[in-house]
Amino acid sequence: MRQREHENLPLLALQILVDGFAISALYGLGAVGFTLIFGVSGVLNLAHGGIMTVAALVGWWVAAEHGAGPYGSAALGVAAAVVASFVTYYVSIRPIQRSRAIPAEEEEIFILTSTLLWGVMLQVGLDYVFTNNPVTMLPLLPGVVQVAGVRTPKNEVLIAIVCWAIIGVLSLLVNRTRIGKQLLAASINPRALTLLGFELSHIYLVVWAIYGFLAGVAGVLLATFLGVSADTSGALTASAFTIVILGGLGSVPGSLVAAYVVGYAETITAYLIAPTLRPIPALVLLIIVLYVRPQGLLGRR
Amino acid sequence: MPTIGRSFGFALLAIALVLGGSAPWWLGAYYLGIFTIAYYFGVFAMSWDLLFGYAGEVNFGPTFLIGIGAYAAGLLNNAGVPLIACIALGALAAVIGGMILAIPALRLRGPYFGLVTLVAVLLLLDLIVIFAAETGGEIGMTVPDVLSVSTSVNYWYAFGFLVVSGAILFGLSRSALGLILQATGQDRIEAQALGFNVTKHKLAAFAISALFSGLAGAMLAFYEGTASVDQMVDLSIAVQIIIAVVFGGRRTIVGGVLGAVFLVLFNELLRPIGQLNTFIVSAIALAVILFLPDGVLGWLLRPRAGQ
Amino acid sequence: MPSNAPRLEVERLAKRFGGLVAVRNLAFSIRSGEILGLIGPNGSGKSTVMKLIMGIEKPDAGAVRLDGVDVAGWPTHRIARKGVGIVFQHSRPLHRQTVVENIKLALLPDSLFRLAAEPQVEERARAIAERVGLGAVLDRRPPTLPFADLRRLEMAKAMARDPAVVLVDEPFAGLTQAEVAAFSELLDGFRRDGRAVLLVDHNVKSVARLADRVLAMYLGERIAEGTADEVMRDETVRRVYIGGAIQTHARPEATNTAGEALLDLRDVDVFYGKAQALQNVSLRVQPGEFVSVVGLNGAGKTTLFNAISGLVPYAGEIRWRGAKLAGRSPAAIARGGIVQCPETRELFGDMSVRENLDLGGQHLSAVARDRQLAWLIDLFPILRERAGQKARTLSGGEQQMLAIARALMMQPKLLILDEPSLGLAPVILEELSKALTQLRETTDITVLLGEQNVTFALPHADRVYLLEHARIIWEGGPARFAAERGAGYL
Repeated sequence: MRQREHENLPLLALQILVDGFAISALYGLGAVGFTLIFGVSGVLNLAHGGIMTVAALVGWWVAAEHGAGPYGSAALGVAAAVVASFVTYYVSIRPIQRSRAIPAEEEEIFILTSTLLWGVMLQVGLDYVFTNNPVTMLPLLPGVVQVAGVRTPKNEVLIAIVCWAIIGVLSLLVNRTRIGKQLLAASINPRALTLLGFELSHIYLVVWAIYGFLAGVAGVLLATFLGVSADTSGALTASAFTIVILGGLGSVPGSLVAAYVVGYAETITAYLIAPTLRPIPALVLLIIVLYVRPQGLLGRR
Repeated sequence: MPTIGRSFGFALLAIALVLGGSAPWWLGAYYLGIFTIAYYFGVFAMSWDLLFGYAGEVNFGPTFLIGIGAYAAGLLNNAGVPLIACIALGALAAVIGGMILAIPALRLRGPYFGLVTLVAVLLLLDLIVIFAAETGGEIGMTVPDVLSVSTSVNYWYAFGFLVVSGAILFGLSRSALGLILQATGQDRIEAQALGFNVTKHKLAAFAISALFSGLAGAMLAFYEGTASVDQMVDLSIAVQIIIAVVFGGRRTIVGGVLGAVFLVLFNELLRPIGQLNTFIVSAIALAVILFLPDGVLGWLLRPRAGQ
Repeated sequence: MPSNAPRLEVERLAKRFGGLVAVRNLAFSIRSGEILGLIGPNGSGKSTVMKLIMGIEKPDAGAVRLDGVDVAGWPTHRIARKGVGIVFQHSRPLHRQTVVENIKLALLPDSLFRLAAEPQVEERARAIAERVGLGAVLDRRPPTLPFADLRRLEMAKAMARDPAVVLVDEPFAGLTQAEVAAFSELLDGFRRDGRAVLLVDHNVKSVARLADRVLAMYLGERIAEGTADEVMRDETVRRVYIGGAIQTHARPEATNTAGEALLDLRDVDVFYGKAQALQNVSLRVQPGEFVSVVGLNGAGKTTLFNAISGLVPYAGEIRWRGAKLAGRSPAAIARGGIVQCPETRELFGDMSVRENLDLGGQHLSAVARDRQLAWLIDLFPILRERAGQKARTLSGGEQQMLAIARALMMQPKLLILDEPSLGLAPVILEELSKALTQLRETTDITVLLGEQNVTFALPHADRVYLLEHARIIWEGGPARFAAERGAGYL
């Protein structure tokens, strides 16, 4: 966060507006993948932060150890996240969905527990391989630019653009393409999709690939913006989780709205009250929403 | 078959009690310390199992209750309240905190209850860090009093506490309340149609779970001499409690103790290989979940073919 | 002997789920020692009525009076304690407790502080177990019990609360004839105890012997009330179940019964847990044939179709063009040409009509897809008008047409239609009927139609199978069906 040296209120407001936008976009991107998986296959993936961290650490590592450029390392980081996403599916989700010993009504808790365990394994594994030091990837675009009179790193502008571009492409993919329609249909009525001759297992693979990509991009971008270490993976899961619940499980627009609510609530708290209180408003908001409207802001029952 | 199984179980229990009770005479101080911690963990696990295995509610925030117990006791002790009162009041605080959490949360269905409890832990973590001046933040809060300076006495406190809690929780699970809880966990609507006020019984289960979690949390703080986030509140502790129960066998109460002893011992034995021990322990737990979903004890006690 | 004051009185009961009216302005009463049969086809609202009485769902309007006290809207556990018991169709007993412990559970007070059961509880539990016929299996655990004993356990639990009013959901589903007799005796015992009993079932036949009165429901409303005989003879009831006077189509019986069957089922058995849903079912469909499987709700039609589509595991053999289907995924079976249009329609509610159809046609080439779409819109012109509308905003009839059209988009070799007439108004049925006739006359498609509504099914049948209690009990041409089985069907 930049220093709190503003005497001038309008400028401060602008600063919050600009600064909050990029972080919110990033939150949105991370949460959209999480929502997508839940919507299509009903899985709440508690290893989410671990997958983002894989992208960030692998990206940083190929840059630092093998001299890859900012774009190459970002691409490799994203690729690593896609791989991690598939492994997550095959290690901690598919065996439970196929198990006969686990009753259907307990599947949810088993998947939550298994992805949680897998998340711990990822975190500790990353900790072991990459140590626990926070790493920062090189910004994709160095330099600073004036946005509405606020000095903003170009990288932050790029992050906002990339996030929204990807969200836009994703929305086109879902609403305009054949595979997208299948994903949408699977989230509405998986049984009907089977009756129409589509293999759900293939659709799940596609979803996990898309999810890995989204989580990977979010992880890499986050690493160019804030520091990421193995230990942050839990907090990343928690924040995606918070946003997704706040927005309504399975609702992509809800996640985006919630990402901005949380992003700005945090930024405002950090600027006006104290940076240490940053995570509080989101949690308080979440508790209120869960009590008053458990289906989330835009969720349906 | 069941009678053989039962007497076999009693024999094992008797052996465990004798071995456990006599440990200070034949076990080194180092291992006594490990078991002491494992026993407190065992109580955490049993409390969690009462809620999950019997009432069918997934509480991702056992450490919310434990943490409140530990920190409330610690804060009071620092304010000059005597140790015994601190433990009692810590447990009371956990029950009150648990009720504030559970009364609205139990209205929620499906994954939402679990989510609220998870959020409660995150909130508690943040509060502890924010009020670092009083709580010691991430470093932990030193408490002036300790349970005892003797390793053996500390061990016996923990062991006695485990045995008493285990007896009470196991008894409760086999009592009328346990039956009703299982019925509500199995089929909420049918339980209601039998005339049971499901919410009331679930709240009771939550209160009992909070009571023992809080007691154990407070006692652990006075054993360690500190109330710390790392040992009592962190989500990784919650994960370990859940693993202990699922590993040992959910819906058994005692299974959680097995799991807790295994986890703590294994973590200790694997300490030489460094951080990877958590990785290995998690991998083993994951394998158990995938391949023995009823846990070790559930697998041992499974109904054999032909019975 | 029934006393005069009604035990249970239901007045102007109403319930909507979103836009769907489940129960409308329903009223009835039951006295002590009286058995009322509540019947209606699937979706008629009878289960909702039961849930409304028990408080599992909250009524939107109306009263549910127990001995004069209105309990509508009370929480379930209070209604239960006021004296209403329910025997669920599907039970989930405590698996790790014995039979007697399960019954003891039902005898426990709703108290947090009574930790141990009172001594006489054990005795009462045993007495109840004896009475329902569980005396020999007191110490067994539910997973080891046969299906009928699990139902007995449910009866025992309901009885344990000594309820003044007992609601029984499909008392005889999944039972053998001998077991049906034993259960009838038990239910008769409820009457002798002076309880007011509500039996909820799909059809009149099964409750006829027991019920003092029968109330028939359709689309949330009462359509007839009286003795079982009166209700069975009632014109409206017959129209709802059978569809009016039976007519058969002029087309002669199919001649190509000799060649290799397109679909061939041999000795197919399906179990849901311990309940047998299909028993020894053998059935053949020749290419180009229209075959109807008729039977009342609960006879096993849907299970039969789900077995063919690979959605439920089965024993026995199902062959498609000579090759076994076992081991293929449901999606592969659908792509192979067996397309099912299920009873529940399974539309993508939040997608448009056009999107629904497009998903059905995704396996086709663009040219074939356009041709198929044009043909279907010809067959169901209403779909053109509704193309941009979301599927869940369509009327019931339109949804059914969309479901059939979506299945036809896949260019099936064999189209399975499960209860297409369910819940549709007569005008719509006629339209649907015309479309089926057109299919039969203009294409070489093969159709397997499952129907309760015989009048709807027979005109479209070359051959008919009659399914009852999980077994095929009759097979033949539609004209013979009308002559031989028409009267005894309901």
